[in-house]
Amino acid sequence: MTAAEPGRQPPPGDGPEERDPGLARERTSLSWTRTAIAFAALGGTVLKENLATGLIILAVAPVVWQLGRVSRGPGSVDRSPALSAVGATRLFLITVSIVGVAALCLVIAILGRSAPGALR
Amino acid sequence: MSWSRRLAALLPSTVERDAGGTEPDPRFTFANERTFLAWSRTALALVVAGLGIVQLLPPFPGVPAGRHLLGVPLIVLGAVLAIAAYAEWVRNQHALRRGEPLPQSVMPWILAATITGIAIIAAIVLLISALR
Repeated sequence: MTAAEPGRQPPPGDGPEERDPGLARERTSLSWTRTAIAFAALGGTVLKENLATGLIILAVAPVVWQLGRVSRGPGSVDRSPALSAVGATRLFLITVSIVGVAALCLVIAILGRSAPGALR
Repeated sequence: MSWSRRLAALLPSTVERDAGGTEPDPRFTFANERTFLAWSRTALALVVAGLGIVQLLPPFPGVPAGRHLLGVPLIVLGAVLAIAAYAEWVRNQHALRRGEPLPQSVMPWILAATITGIAIIAAIVLLISALR
């Protein structure tokens, strides 16, 4: 979070971010991209152990990337007065995805066979 | 507040209906979202680490369940962190809308405590396998 206390928000100034939260939007967009890459990396790791599960997780990556693009276009802040409402469903979906992926990985970890020598 | 009400308050439909306060500065909303995403990536990293330990590490001599002992808690922690991150985002957004101070986060404490616990277990498992 930023250093500013949300309870006492300063009035808009002349700084570039005060006039337009475009840079904050850009950083958030990049953050969504990194999250999608993290899903892809996990999918690649699981792919080695279980093809079907790995492919499912890999398929989640572009969905996550696309979720990050929803209402993130230029001027979306002006068009959408309730950003938190827009975000709730998307973030809930991400949470459900991670919990689902963790459950799949748990099943693979417990039931899957790892070679005696490992580090294959 | 009962657990069922707390869980119901986390549902997206409930969050979207929250009309209390005013829409916060978009920069704060974006920052809150980025914090959630950063925790989500941490959760995914823990899941990968857990799976990697179980599936890729060679077995510990003398400790047959050693890999599971270390990997499974990491995967479970990943799922817990993901849920906690969402709950934290909802609480922060609620506070931002009302201009209240941001609530204290318990997530760094959960992460630190669990990683410390797993590090201690890892040390014990390594010691046992080295002595055999």
